[in-house]
Amino acid sequence: MTRHESELPFFFGNGGELFGIYHPAGRKADRAVLLCAPLGQDHIRCHRLYRQLATTLAGEGLPVLRFDYYGCGDSAGASGEVEWGRCLHDVVSAAQELRRRSGVPDIVAFGARLGGPIALAAAQPAGFTDVLAWDPVIDGAAYVTRLDEMQEALLQDTRRFVRPRGQGESQGQWLGFEVNPTLRRQIAELRPPWGMRPSLVLDTLGATAPDWRELGIDASHVRVIEPATPWDDLARLEAAIISHPLLQAVSAHVHRVHA
Amino acid sequence: MSEQAFRFGRAQHLVGIAGLPEQPRDAVGVIVLNAGLVHHVGPFRQTVDMTRRLNTLGYPTLRFDLSTIGDSGASGESQTRVQQICADVDDAMVLLGKQAGCRRFVLVGLCAGAEKAHQVARDRTSHHKLGGAVFLDGFAYRTLGFKLRHYLPRLFDARRWGRWLSRKRREIADGDAPSFSVAPLPQDVVSEDFSSMVERGLKICMIYTGGINMFFNHRRQFRECFGPAMNHPAVCTRYSEEIDHTYVLVDDRRRLIEQVETWLCSNFPITHAGVLP
Repeated sequence: MTRHESELPFFFGNGGELFGIYHPAGRKADRAVLLCAPLGQDHIRCHRLYRQLATTLAGEGLPVLRFDYYGCGDSAGASGEVEWGRCLHDVVSAAQELRRRSGVPDIVAFGARLGGPIALAAAQPAGFTDVLAWDPVIDGAAYVTRLDEMQEALLQDTRRFVRPRGQGESQGQWLGFEVNPTLRRQIAELRPPWGMRPSLVLDTLGATAPDWRELGIDASHVRVIEPATPWDDLARLEAAIISHPLLQAVSAHVHRVHA
Repeated sequence: MSEQAFRFGRAQHLVGIAGLPEQPRDAVGVIVLNAGLVHHVGPFRQTVDMTRRLNTLGYPTLRFDLSTIGDSGASGESQTRVQQICADVDDAMVLLGKQAGCRRFVLVGLCAGAEKAHQVARDRTSHHKLGGAVFLDGFAYRTLGFKLRHYLPRLFDARRWGRWLSRKRREIADGDAPSFSVAPLPQDVVSEDFSSMVERGLKICMIYTGGINMFFNHRRQFRECFGPAMNHPAVCTRYSEEIDHTYVLVDDRRRLIEQVETWLCSNFPITHAGVLP
């Protein structure tokens, strides 16, 4: 059986509402890795990288589960139904599913952008032994402001539209996705501390990086990776985000810290 | 309605989600191809919204990743990309046939997905299984009409001339950069393909947007590009200038899904056996 043949797509969770792909390790493992996706367009842009990361880690002997929250990707629910508390609940369900499939109790979580605070906030109920966060959003209010600005710029973007579109045409939307007022408020209120401190922050924000000490960590827990990721570049809104150095950094950290 | 995840294909290398309505089992199956390299959920989750809507109407659907895209792997065969695409779509048809009892299928593709759907539909025997195709921002060629509409209003715009000159200067300074793009099918070949498709009984829906306005800028351009086949009753064409290429706004996506739904219902109606009017 080739590696991709062993990667199993399935639905799980209450009522089979969540979609996931399990990457078995092929040998006995002492820990497993849960990949917590970011939300919105970041999720679609990171899909390839998440798959590469899952394949890499599974190839190195760690079982991996990647999955979609309710209202995201292939999971049930509409995009406008995504809600913070439900995302945390889904992480707990996914962790249970990963333990059930792998037989491994120790789980390390990885999350990019909003996937970072989701993994950190769900760390205790999900029973994570560790969390790695890639450019986690730690100032929710600033993030909401930035997304509002980008949405406004998108409507005026004449590389995308023949003529600028009216503001009323994108009420309650961020970069292609419907966002309900509850989620908007929940994201705006995001601020550490969360249930756990990450053992590693992967920083690809360049000059715009916040003060990661707000997460309760010092510089030894931050790894700066170049080049910077163009998360906020409208011209590359639909470009996949790929970073080989990031894959190597995650893999090396998981093996070193948990050896 | 239920959705099921599958790993399938001749090398068990493909991943897709089938939407399986409970009834009926004789409906046409709708298969949605990848838009470029975006995985099977589609740009901004458009494919998920579309397939679920079609499922509620009774159409079985499959959104899946072609070889090496998204969650799918490589088949390990030595094939051209076109052979691979045709074989992958054939695998998708077999799966949906087995799961939902479909014998006829409609392909839906956006951008590169439309090109792939075209590659499948142009096969002289495709009509044995294929009932139709929806091409979203598919093949387009700069016709004389396009050039007049595009360049005439710009002719006396000094700013545009300035930008053009500086672009040309940059290009000359950069020299000849190697190009790795795939050449599209020639216009006369595509035009002939459409004639052949309608002669073989395929129904065609073409929905184009202002997002490709560097190649296509008016509904008349369907006929300018592809000739009289565009007037055939089996061909439906729509052009929405104000919409972008990937339907980034929620209402634009809803409108697209409604258009696909209306076209499907009128060309491939679902017969509800045993239901009294």
